[in-house]
Amino acid sequence: MYAKAYKYRWQYLMILPGVVLLFLFHYVPMAGIQVAFRDFQIGSSIWSSPWVGMDNFAFLGEEQFWTVVRNTLYISVLKFFFGFPAPILLALMINEVTHSAFRRFVQSVSYLPHFFSWIVVAYILQAFLTLDGGLVNQAVTAAGAEPIFFLGSTEWFRPVVIASGLWKETGWNTILYLAAITTIDPQLYEAAKVEGAGKLAQIRHITLPGIMPTISIVLILSIPSLITVGMDQIYPLMNSANMEVADVLDTYVLRSGLQQGYFGMATAVGLLSSVISLVLVVTTNQLSRRMNGEGLW
Amino acid sequence: MRPNAAETVIQSLIVALLSLMCLSVLYPFLYMLAISLNEGADAAKGGVYLLPRAFTLLNYEIVLGNEVIRHAYLITIARTAAGTVSGLFVTLLVAFGLSYRGLPLRGVILSYILITMLFNGGLVPYYIQLNNLGLLNTFWVYILPGMFSVWNMFVMLKFIQGIPEALIESAEMDGAGPVRVLLQIIIPLSKPMLAALGLFTAVGHWNDWFTGAFFVTDQSLIPVQTFLQQLLAASDISAVLGSNTNQEALARSSQMQNITLMSIKMAVVMVSALPILCVYPFLQKYFVKGVLVGSVKG
Repeated sequence: MYAKAYKYRWQYLMILPGVVLLFLFHYVPMAGIQVAFRDFQIGSSIWSSPWVGMDNFAFLGEEQFWTVVRNTLYISVLKFFFGFPAPILLALMINEVTHSAFRRFVQSVSYLPHFFSWIVVAYILQAFLTLDGGLVNQAVTAAGAEPIFFLGSTEWFRPVVIASGLWKETGWNTILYLAAITTIDPQLYEAAKVEGAGKLAQIRHITLPGIMPTISIVLILSIPSLITVGMDQIYPLMNSANMEVADVLDTYVLRSGLQQGYFGMATAVGLLSSVISLVLVVTTNQLSRRMNGEGLW
Repeated sequence: MRPNAAETVIQSLIVALLSLMCLSVLYPFLYMLAISLNEGADAAKGGVYLLPRAFTLLNYEIVLGNEVIRHAYLITIARTAAGTVSGLFVTLLVAFGLSYRGLPLRGVILSYILITMLFNGGLVPYYIQLNNLGLLNTFWVYILPGMFSVWNMFVMLKFIQGIPEALIESAEMDGAGPVRVLLQIIIPLSKPMLAALGLFTAVGHWNDWFTGAFFVTDQSLIPVQTFLQQLLAASDISAVLGSNTNQEALARSSQMQNITLMSIKMAVVMVSALPILCVYPFLQKYFVKGVLVGSVKG
């Protein structure tokens, strides 16, 4: 055993930095979850802070917490509802383009927004939606209507989040589908044409079934993320005017924990969402085993 | 076979829709570029859509003459370079080490790594740990925590396992140790993969604003994206002009009234976006490959 381990000493040496880094930045924070059950102040030691039982979970009885949960689910479900079919549609459309230069151009352009930060997207939104001189509001006023305060209203917050999410990631998410389409046997299309199937019939009976495995995997993989609505996107767009609908679990933890110093309570909220997402991931894996014959691990 | 009328209609509809999509992606950048190259007061009147009407470089002079922005840029470049190189290095080493199937305890190590993808302590314990390690408010907070990417490691691992074993065995027969195998076989063969993962890592570093916003309070350590995030909600221009060293530009006070917060903002965001827009065309071939190798098939 030792001789064998010695034989692999170089490999262990190579793996060591990864093991240490995971220990420092993943495992120690996992042990830090006990803060959820302690009265911890920054500067004191986690291990010597007094236990307080379930006191930090008092947020479960607060109306504000449930508003945040509702906001999170609302946005994530809407994002899923629009965000899941969009890349499939786009991939099908791109696939129909016969002109190869145009096709390459469309693909390059559609991937582009993925490479910009949500901050840049927030600036774009500001440039287009702002009250004074924003392009959209110029159009709105030109049409004779009252300008709309898109970024500071509760009604417009969700549409703005959904639309900007679609704008940024739809193109990027087509990559997998387009790759799956290229693996479909071209002879199937030839045969369908001979039998007189039109374009739409070909899509329905050949392309869609052909990419079905990819669709189901993407579907399964997206289930765990239903509980998290990226802080990255929401935080830059959040302000005091739209707070009521914009505050999601991630931003709630951020504010109560890092900004207001309720470490115990924020850790408790974080623990709750970690547990829920763990349950979702495990369920998803079972689901995938049943549907695809193999799990994700 | 002649295309029937319905198909021609569908075909042109698709071309129209796709063109519209391209326009919706490209136009915002053209618009922001036009606003940033236009005199602010003039742009505020509206009507600048595609080309600047009253052309000026003043907005850029002010942005690039700003000490804080220049410094933020240096931080961004430094962390992107250091973070990408060190991140790729560690990730590659771990993946290569784990690619030896005979390695004792391999399964245990793999589970140890996998668990971190399934469960995490959440933001607050993570923050407390950064604090305990003394990383808050240091440059290292940008580099160390992200140095090992579990996801990239698995992608890399799968790629290395796809390299024919005979190649490695014959090298070992000739007396090559693992370090030599890594340097002379694995790295040369993994170049496209390393390029793709390196690109994703670099973009991640370039675009990260969160670390700078919440784990760093020292203004001289913030990267460009965090500066942008702070400026996003700014309501007056002093946020940008406060520490301007380009006195010459400021001295032209007759022009000062031409500057608006919006035109300055657009210049700043263009300055942060331009590098990506410039390198993007050259990197495309790598990232599509990278996504596909790292994707679900397997």
